Amino acid sequence: MAQNSATVSDLMKVPGVSKGSASELHKVGWTPETLEKCSFADLTDALTSKRAENIFAAMGRDAGVEEKPKAKAAKATTPATASKSNKTAVKEVGSSKKATVKKAEKPKKTTTKAATKTTTKAATKTTTKAATKTTTKTTTKAATKTTTKTTTKAATKTTTKTTTKAATKAKGKAKKDASVDDEVKVFVEPRDIGPDVTYTPEEEKMLDFVIKMGLKFSPQLVKSLTEKITPLGLTQKEKGMVINHVSNQYKKHTIDPNESCGIVAAQSIGEPGTQMTMRTFHYAGVAEINVTLGLPRLIEIVDARRVPSTPMMEVYLDKKTRGNVDKVRKIASQIEFTILQGIADIETDITNMRILVHPKRAKMKVKNLKMAELEEILLAIKAKKFKGIKEGVRKEGDVFIFEVDEPSFKKLQKLSDQVRAHQIKGLTNIKRAIIRKTSDEHVIYTEGSNLGGVLDIEEVDKTRTSSNSIMEVYEVLGVEAARNSIIKEAKNTLDEQGLAVDIRHIMLVADIMTNDGDVKAIGRHGISGRKSSVLARAAFEITSTHLLRAAVMGEKDTLNGVAENIIVGQPVTVGTGAVNLIYTPKKNAPKKKKDAEE
Amino acid sequence: MLRGVSKRISEIKFAFMSPEEIRKISAIKVITADTYDDDGFPIDMGLMDSHLGVIEPGLRCKTCKCRVDECSGHFGHIDLAMPVIHVGYVKDITRLLRASCKACGRVLLTRERTQEYRALMAEMENFGGDTQDKFELTKVTAKDASSTPICHYCGTQQGKVTIDKPTTFREDGHKLTPKEIRERLERIPDEDLLPMGINPKNARPEWMILTALLVPPVTVRPSITLQSGDRSEDDLTHKLVDVLRINQRLRENRDAGAPQLIVEDLWELLQYHITTYYDNQTSGIPPARHRSGRPLKTLVQRLKGKEGRFRSNLSGKRVNFSSRTVISPDPLMSINELGVPRTAARELTIPLRVNNLNIDMARRLVTRGPEPPDTSRGYIPGVNYVIRSDARRIKVTPRNKSLIAMNLEPGYIVERQLQAGDIVLFNRQPSLHRMSMMAHQVQVMEGKTFRFNLSVCPPYNADFDGDEMNLHVLQSEEARVEARILMRVQEHILSPRFGGPVIGAIHDHITGAFIMTYKNYSFNRFDALQIISRIDIKVLPEADGTKDGEEYWYGRTLMSLALPADLNMSFEASICQNCDTCEFENCKHDAYVVVRNGKILQGAVDEKAIGAFKGKILDKMARDYGPDAARVFLGIATKLSIGAIMVMGFTTGIDDEDIPEMAKLQISEKLKKARETVEALVISYRDGTLEQMPGRSLEETLEVETMKELGKARDTAGQIAGKHQGMENSAVIMARCGARGSMLNLSQMAGCIGQQAVRGERISRGYWGRTLPHFVKEDLGAEAKGFVKSCYKSGLNPTEYFFHSMGGREGLVDTAVRTSRSGYMQRRLINALEDLKVTADGTVRNTAQCIIQFKYGEDNIDPTRSSGDSGVDINDALMEVLGDKYWEFLTKQNSKGGDQ
Repeated sequence: MAQNSATVSDLMKVPGVSKGSASELHKVGWTPETLEKCSFADLTDALTSKRAENIFAAMGRDAGVEEKPKAKAAKATTPATASKSNKTAVKEVGSSKKATVKKAEKPKKTTTKAATKTTTKAATKTTTKAATKTTTKTTTKAATKTTTKTTTKAATKTTTKTTTKAATKAKGKAKKDASVDDEVKVFVEPRDIGPDVTYTPEEEKMLDFVIKMGLKFSPQLVKSLTEKITPLGLTQKEKGMVINHVSNQYKKHTIDPNESCGIVAAQSIGEPGTQMTMRTFHYAGVAEINVTLGLPRLIEIVDARRVPSTPMMEVYLDKKTRGNVDKVRKIASQIEFTILQGIADIETDITNMRILVHPKRAKMKVKNLKMAELEEILLAIKAKKFKGIKEGVRKEGDVFIFEVDEPSFKKLQKLSDQVRAHQIKGLTNIKRAIIRKTSDEHVIYTEGSNLGGVLDIEEVDKTRTSSNSIMEVYEVLGVEAARNSIIKEAKNTLDEQGLAVDIRHIMLVADIMTNDGDVKAIGRHGISGRKSSVLARAAFEITSTHLLRAAVMGEKDTLNGVAENIIVGQPVTVGTGAVNLIYTPKKNAPKKKKDAEE
Repeated sequence: MLRGVSKRISEIKFAFMSPEEIRKISAIKVITADTYDDDGFPIDMGLMDSHLGVIEPGLRCKTCKCRVDECSGHFGHIDLAMPVIHVGYVKDITRLLRASCKACGRVLLTRERTQEYRALMAEMENFGGDTQDKFELTKVTAKDASSTPICHYCGTQQGKVTIDKPTTFREDGHKLTPKEIRERLERIPDEDLLPMGINPKNARPEWMILTALLVPPVTVRPSITLQSGDRSEDDLTHKLVDVLRINQRLRENRDAGAPQLIVEDLWELLQYHITTYYDNQTSGIPPARHRSGRPLKTLVQRLKGKEGRFRSNLSGKRVNFSSRTVISPDPLMSINELGVPRTAARELTIPLRVNNLNIDMARRLVTRGPEPPDTSRGYIPGVNYVIRSDARRIKVTPRNKSLIAMNLEPGYIVERQLQAGDIVLFNRQPSLHRMSMMAHQVQVMEGKTFRFNLSVCPPYNADFDGDEMNLHVLQSEEARVEARILMRVQEHILSPRFGGPVIGAIHDHITGAFIMTYKNYSFNRFDALQIISRIDIKVLPEADGTKDGEEYWYGRTLMSLALPADLNMSFEASICQNCDTCEFENCKHDAYVVVRNGKILQGAVDEKAIGAFKGKILDKMARDYGPDAARVFLGIATKLSIGAIMVMGFTTGIDDEDIPEMAKLQISEKLKKARETVEALVISYRDGTLEQMPGRSLEETLEVETMKELGKARDTAGQIAGKHQGMENSAVIMARCGARGSMLNLSQMAGCIGQQAVRGERISRGYWGRTLPHFVKEDLGAEAKGFVKSCYKSGLNPTEYFFHSMGGREGLVDTAVRTSRSGYMQRRLINALEDLKVTADGTVRNTAQCIIQFKYGEDNIDPTRSSGDSGVDINDALMEVLGDKYWEFLTKQNSKGGDQ
């Protein structure tokens, strides 16, 4: 741990360090020495990039040069991108860093959509994993929190996909030396779990105790220990005994190597499937919204369907707005998608070849729309947006008039349809927004999902808002968030049916679906279609094509997996088949035989 | 027999066959289309020639001189008169044609670009790209190449190549013959092939156009002799006959100089026949049919689909040494034993290798012969076959058994029959999880069914209404050892799905345990001895007291005989009613179970203690005391509870659902009121006075409100009925202690059944505007839409019965559809995840060594062994370490009135 002996003023003495930067650095325990030795990447972890640049510039160090040790990790991803964008990719990594830094963030690697699908996937598969560290257990809420926090700023409009498997990299939080980034550590010190895991002082004491005993516990274990042990008032010896016992239990409960966890996970999720209802509609939680439940929902999740059959969002609001019903209602009406037909009567005036729009006050009141707003929106409609309209919209009294330029019935009809469907307010896809009051706040539930749009709204609490459409989460928040979303949705579906499934199985499924950097379906279009063995693919589905293509490409099947070994008739490579028994006969045996014969 | 083969297949390589190779490996060139001659012998140079293999016993194969059993057939070939396109490669041929120059054959890209693509391909290898990725890349390359109009090397203008389904190629409108295509493909140089995704060492593109057709051996397409004596040929043979005939005609016509049109026609016909020979379901051409009209089953059809080679013969096979019968229960066996009928035991055998250490024992075994009479110890196994060193099987009969026994030598294999204690695999289909197949120890018994302990029913999901189950006898020593250590029933007490027990007490076990421990039931000496006689204990424990001169024992003392002496637990039982302030140990309902030092101090033992999915005592036993201790515990506990229920008696009858007249009146009152409320709602809906719920239409609001009302009515009726049914009621006992059923069942039997629903809504389908003609049109009332107000005991009236059956039918259909959909999902999941394993460094990887998870489940904990999400049960740890101190602390905490 860095010494806190350096004060803010000491840090300010370093050229280029402003008061704000100094206090930030002091908070994370940096000293002037660390500043001198650190890399640019570490500094950007602790400060905003602008400040970091200033400091480096003042110190006379070249920010670009320092990119190299970090770029080793970044380079790992870049060769993946198509050769043409090789150079651009490095720049993108660098630039993305600048764009997406908030206090003490984890380094991200962004791979833009532009890069060819094929190669990026190949790269991220092997190399990002090499460069990142172990992820210790963070509750899904925490994980969603981190991803939403960091990526909304960057990712709203541009659909960049962020791959952030770096939840627990030894933070450039400068509790360690900057040079540590060069060496990839596999085991994480219990303290360096990440900025989103906070310990209360009591938990800190427990953590110290545990570390002193030489044990490594996950944060959740530390927290539950604190919760259970502190009220007992135990002596140090007793505490030690209990923690030892817990540690032994923990060791006993670890999984054995060569265990075929994949099949067990698949069975554990598939077997309760037979007990789930197919009845899809149910009033889940909110009485007004239908959500798909049970087996059809689970199949949707596993198939990585682009649009779920009942998309839904839970919108939480920030502290200021969540208690106030009116404000919440305003936001709800703001996001609810309204078309002109919903608030006005539309009349097709054939004789004059025009369309008359009579706004209905009552309906407008329900949607919280004022006449002036409507006027603004309608008058702003330009001719090019609506085909065949003559010189824009006119207003006569309380009626809006749309005129066709050509006296053609077909055009009139088309115009009428367009006018009907014209969007007045709200975000696309949000069919309905309903407010519900929980114990201390108001929450908006929407039928229909538009995560990107909703997160744009100021008053929305971006750390808790979620959508049940996994592909949307993937597009807006990135693949890590999508992984967590898969886990959350699947667990909810199973729990709702009353089936208990250990979360580790669901985690494994989610991990294999998102392993390549995007969300793949389980099935021949996704994971199963990409297996390396010809025989396994042929045995699963579409037999002939696979075999034929394999011959053309001269494929070799190295018989590594389960299916192909079964076809060939050999012991499988998982479980007991992964181990070879060797028997060394005792040296005495032949002698005995001789004795017997004698 | 190839015993002792220790070689492993390490890899399989796929490649093309060039025509030269085909001709080289062929055993004979097939010319004639005739198969058999009049005597029934295969014709020379015909399709069923003896060079290609034999199917008839008695004939010898000409190529390898073996008989029917040993000869596995040999390939032949047909020389095609004119080259023909291989239908499976049409897409690849198009790609190549479009991407290569028609004159010089080079790829239509500049040298630099070709280099780039080649480098990309190589990089893909490095980054672990799989076939799919490479294929995508080749598509990109091909597209790039095809967009170039002029060749960079020779400057020729390229034409546009199109395909006519399914095998005709046209360039700029004019037809390309396979011969021309072949010539073009021949010109493509090797180094240009790599970026196109073809490995020139294995597959030259011109081989995609067939000049020699490989004829499969006779064993692949055997002919069948029908009862009438005629031979019926296999579909493939039929097809080959067609091919041969057309080939002959084509050759004759071409050689005789027939007009171009006829030759082309015949050529096309040949192409059609060869296309259907490979794949009869090619889109765009009519499938070749049998005389009867049924489409032929040719090569591709043999391989694909559920009944194809892969799924039906390779990934899953029929096996020997297996058996299948109806199952029946046997409560007296231990959970890992299996009762096998004698007939099965005499038929199934285990191989025993003879060596000089066991040769005497082997001789004795063989001398017994195949049907040794029972001894004082009962059934003894005999020997069915002996396999000599030269791999010849000799059947052991009573006549030759002594002779064989005398000639036994080390190296022989004696196949002895099944005996008690052998390890066998027992399985019930559908095998949804790994507990559907477990290892049991054999007990040979009289009778014709498989018998096993009842507690083992839940993992197999077996009931005894006629279910059948399969038995597999493991043949190798390794397999038996693995089964004994890993697959025995007691190892699977805890399920990997959620870390709790799946094997445990069910139904009557729980009822028995409950009634014997509830409210301190006591047994006199006679009864106590009755109960204890079922388990292996010789000494009756001390009496718990004397009443009227007679000693009595509490049920819980007897139950405590199953527990180890250092067990300490406390938890809520199933009968706990979740009162607002829990009294914990002082619970008046006897719902808090306390175990100290292996003695049950208070509380009723029921589902939460020893039940199959929720048993806490069972859980702790399996975790802390080991699988064998848990097995013994379960055996003892179930036997005791069955003993108790036999002594105390337990029954149920229709009078369990009786409620006093007054209650019935009350119920009908309530239901009547509910009906009226619904009427009122309907009227208000018709009037338009119904208050519309936000976001829903008027009809929906009406429906929601009605359902709410009727639901409430049913619940109230259930409550009224429940008030009059206390713990003397057997149905209530079973529902409360968790053995079977729930309070809902009781309220439906005595109170009111409630609203029937289809698709989550009230019944609406039927006649126009109404559900049944007994109702008026547009009737939205309670009865008209499926509310059943009678209870099962009083009986339903006809309309109610009809609606009830509608709801029931939906349930059945749901189950049927569900099994197939969930089965498919499970198959896909298994297929995608089957290769994952936890490697020695703790990571989870797939076959390509890619890391899927850095630590399994982020904390390396086995779900089977984990207790709760964090993997360790801290309460338990505290209890273990601190013992009494923690106990006091808990009591203090509980008595303060706070929740735990």
